[in-house]
Amino acid sequence: MTADVVATRRAAPRSGARRLLSRHWYAWAMTAPVVIVTLVLVGYPLVRGVYLSLTDATEATMGRTIGMNVIPSTYEFVGLQNYADIITSSEFLGRLAWTVVWTVACVALHVGIGLGLALLLNRPMRLRSFYRVLLVLPWAVPAFVSAFIWRYLLNGEFGVVNAMLRAAGFAGVAWLDDPFWAKVSVIACNVWLGVPFMMLAMLGGLQAIPRELYEAAEVDGATPWQRFRHITLPGLRPVSSTVVLLGTIWTFNQFPVIYLLTKGGPGGATEILVTYAYRQAFEGIRNYSGSAAWGMVILALLVVLAAVYRRALKQQGEAW
Amino acid sequence: MSRAAPTGAWSRDRRSPGRSIALHLTLIAASIVSVFPVAWLVLTSLKPRTVIETASVAPIDHPTLANYTQVLGETRFLTWAANSVIVSLITAVLGVLLAATTGYAVSRFRFPGFRSVMWMLLITQMFPVAILIVPIYNLMAGLGLINQFPSLVIAYLTSTVPFCAWMMKGYFDTVPVTIDEAGRVDGLTPFGTFWRLILPLAKPGLAVAAFYSFLTAWAEVAYAKAFMTGDDKYTLAVGLDQFVGQHKAEWGLLTASSVLIAIPAAVVFLLVQRHLVTGLTAGATKA
Amino acid sequence: MRRVLTSAAVAAALALAVTACGSSSGGAGSAPAKSAVPAEVSGTVTWWDTSDATTEGPVFQEIIKGFESTYPKIKVNYVNVPFADARDKFKTAAQSGSGAPDVLRTDVGWVAEFASLGYLAPLDGTPALDKPEEFLPVPAASGKFNGKTYGVPQVTDTLGLLYNKELLKKAGYDEPPATMADLKKVALDVKSKTGAGGIALNVDAYFLLPFIYGEGGDFVDVQNKKITISSPQSVAGVKIVEDLITSGAAVKPALQDSYTNAETAFKDGKVAMIFNGPWSNADNLGGKVFKDNPDNFGVAPVPAGSVKAGSPLGGHDYTVYAGSQNLDASYLFVQYMASAESQAKIAGKLGLLPTRLPAYSAPEATANPKIAQWAKPMETAVERPWIPEAASLFQPLVEGYQKLAGGQTTTEPMLKDVATAYQGILKGWSL
Repeated sequence: MTADVVATRRAAPRSGARRLLSRHWYAWAMTAPVVIVTLVLVGYPLVRGVYLSLTDATEATMGRTIGMNVIPSTYEFVGLQNYADIITSSEFLGRLAWTVVWTVACVALHVGIGLGLALLLNRPMRLRSFYRVLLVLPWAVPAFVSAFIWRYLLNGEFGVVNAMLRAAGFAGVAWLDDPFWAKVSVIACNVWLGVPFMMLAMLGGLQAIPRELYEAAEVDGATPWQRFRHITLPGLRPVSSTVVLLGTIWTFNQFPVIYLLTKGGPGGATEILVTYAYRQAFEGIRNYSGSAAWGMVILALLVVLAAVYRRALKQQGEAW
Repeated sequence: MSRAAPTGAWSRDRRSPGRSIALHLTLIAASIVSVFPVAWLVLTSLKPRTVIETASVAPIDHPTLANYTQVLGETRFLTWAANSVIVSLITAVLGVLLAATTGYAVSRFRFPGFRSVMWMLLITQMFPVAILIVPIYNLMAGLGLINQFPSLVIAYLTSTVPFCAWMMKGYFDTVPVTIDEAGRVDGLTPFGTFWRLILPLAKPGLAVAAFYSFLTAWAEVAYAKAFMTGDDKYTLAVGLDQFVGQHKAEWGLLTASSVLIAIPAAVVFLLVQRHLVTGLTAGATKA
Repeated sequence: MRRVLTSAAVAAALALAVTACGSSSGGAGSAPAKSAVPAEVSGTVTWWDTSDATTEGPVFQEIIKGFESTYPKIKVNYVNVPFADARDKFKTAAQSGSGAPDVLRTDVGWVAEFASLGYLAPLDGTPALDKPEEFLPVPAASGKFNGKTYGVPQVTDTLGLLYNKELLKKAGYDEPPATMADLKKVALDVKSKTGAGGIALNVDAYFLLPFIYGEGGDFVDVQNKKITISSPQSVAGVKIVEDLITSGAAVKPALQDSYTNAETAFKDGKVAMIFNGPWSNADNLGGKVFKDNPDNFGVAPVPAGSVKAGSPLGGHDYTVYAGSQNLDASYLFVQYMASAESQAKIAGKLGLLPTRLPAYSAPEATANPKIAQWAKPMETAVERPWIPEAASLFQPLVEGYQKLAGGQTTTEPMLKDVATAYQGILKGWSL
């Protein structure tokens, strides 16, 4: 990595903290605003969340004074009870399984379709930039508007998708009403939303692969598949390693699509962990401790995933 | 629009007409899938309310601009749009600045705390927003920022800056370190180098960061709903909800305002799209 | 009509053992009590209105103008908060002590929850609770929690049976069905004789209640702290729904946007009957089969089950935030907004049903035919369990109902699951 040149620049050895400060103060100064704001806005809720998740605090038991009403704090420390409840609940494994299916399906389709379209767009042809603008359009539409459009398109009775199916002589499909099709629908909507980002990222990655590599491979008589397998895919890794990780995190936590399209229904069939945690947190008397525990469980799952992923990348020589 | 001569490789050799047709057909099909939902939204917004709320699915039926005139004339849409523009622009400008400095630092320097910062940027993106709303609301209430735009800007920055910093790091990695060294030889401080030499070179990356930040702020609903307690301070995403009553939705107003909301986002996109691809390269090239 | 309402009120009053209200005089609502003190009150009252911003909001704003000219020292800050967001938004703001409004238009189902959390100011003995004896007892009960009054009823509503007279006539019926058994018969006859569907169901827990109440069931028995959703009575009620779906008397219900789909089918004449509330009148009368023929639109009480005809009480109350800095001004605001005069104005302009008896006979209110149309369905209104957990009881039942309507389960196991979920919500209640 190029940065090492700077990083390994020798500084005159001085003593302890002073030396560290004089050597790194600009790096720290440059990261400080973000670090401080993040620590306050995310660190504080995180620490507080960890604490609350070990209690039985709810909206009703958290002490507060509102005008003439004084409510004393009555919550208690309960240890790991909330976590035990979550892991042993009948909902947890089912929700987790569907969340994994949802994440894997969405990310695989995002990457697959995004890469496919990027490969098609990464060649000389007429109307290339025109196609690119059309294909990126879904990204420019706010997600809540998109979910709203899709709900309208997929309506079983007066949605245009079923109208077209019927016009073509098929029976309509209960897109949002049947548990299986509802799952297909939320995945389809999320794929529609997410492909443009992947496509552009992959396109950027493709354009960064030195052309000479392909020319050399052609001279050596490599087939298109071999070129794809041995030049394109490895060449894309710097881009794909980042976007796959971020895509996975975003999809795992994709709240608006599911909440706005099906509200987790029918009968809870499309409820992923975050939408379930949201309902736990906000429905009825708010359960601060329970929702904090759910938040920690979700966070822990993602941290483990990220750590495993980074380790795998590291073994292949990726930095940090 | 950007690159007339693609760098993409083996495709210089001529395609057979059959392959060319297949290529275009695939792209046309994909474009239709991509555009159709949006196009249908536009068509629906041009229908009168009575038609929208029936089972009719004709693409064009009694076309009218009534929904648009009602949205623009009889609701506070323009106020909300102005609020959204203000919040989104401030978020984009601040987000780009913060993300660029942070991204530059983690790209160029290996300092104590480097790994912690990288992890922090990653973990921040893992937080389910729903869990954060109440604690952040209480923080903002303590700061007296409820119903003030800064509360929204700060909340949005927590989600845009980590991603943009991550992306900018990748981008700065592609800028040759020799430029930094040249700057230092000329007597520039690290800040001077960053500001005068590196930033101008990083325009495509900055464009993507700005685009991403703007869109995130433009489309955010959850924080805006919780923080903005006066309807003169609503953003578009919150104001739109007023067209959904307890028992019925004003589909005409909803679709028309959805189109109006999507237009600025699309315009911003068109402005920066020539930079998007290069900007998203994210550390792909080895300088 | 006046007789009808009085009898309804008295009947409910007896059931509740609340002071009956028959005695109030008919004339135009009396002006709010003005003493030297109220005129001196100053401040700004922020009111979160959750009504429909495009159709109802302007009428409320008009009444606010009247308030501001009566009390020139008080300014009202009107904010329309979408109904769907209001509950979360209020709770988030209320617990932090910053950003909450002074007065909130509160769904009757939220009052007990907010009150139990200490977010609301008790209104007994304040100017806000003016002439409480005039209120219809069933709506009035929604504002009470633990013996104190926290909500002043603004409007009330309930579900009725809406029907397409022409379709019923074609099927051979001049009158709408009065019992659940008739409902099925009429629906099936409509289906076979007219080609339209019989009844459209909205797959929502609230809309199950007429069936459950009809057989004498309920979600819970508050007095005995008992969960009754899986009781034989409730099971019998939900079985009627299951039978309507499986027999084809009901058209296959949509689960997403269920309300809109059912309404669209009814308005387009694709189905003859639907359960819905007074809020849907304007919507329905704009529909294809009613637009040019409003007489075709019929309203009747929900059909009776084997025990009674019962439909859930809905509506809204005015509540005052306990942390308000302008309590005195807020009390006066509530008093003015909930006065018989204001209610009559709202009834006349919007057709929303008043909660004060005198408002029903005010000429302004009687001018709107909707008020008379809904008088009979209102007689069947049943008080809901006013407990803090009430709002949480719907979601498990909605999920269960969706599974039932989707054919993935049957009534008994479904309600059993719901009862188990209720045990997690209502700690310490018996089955």
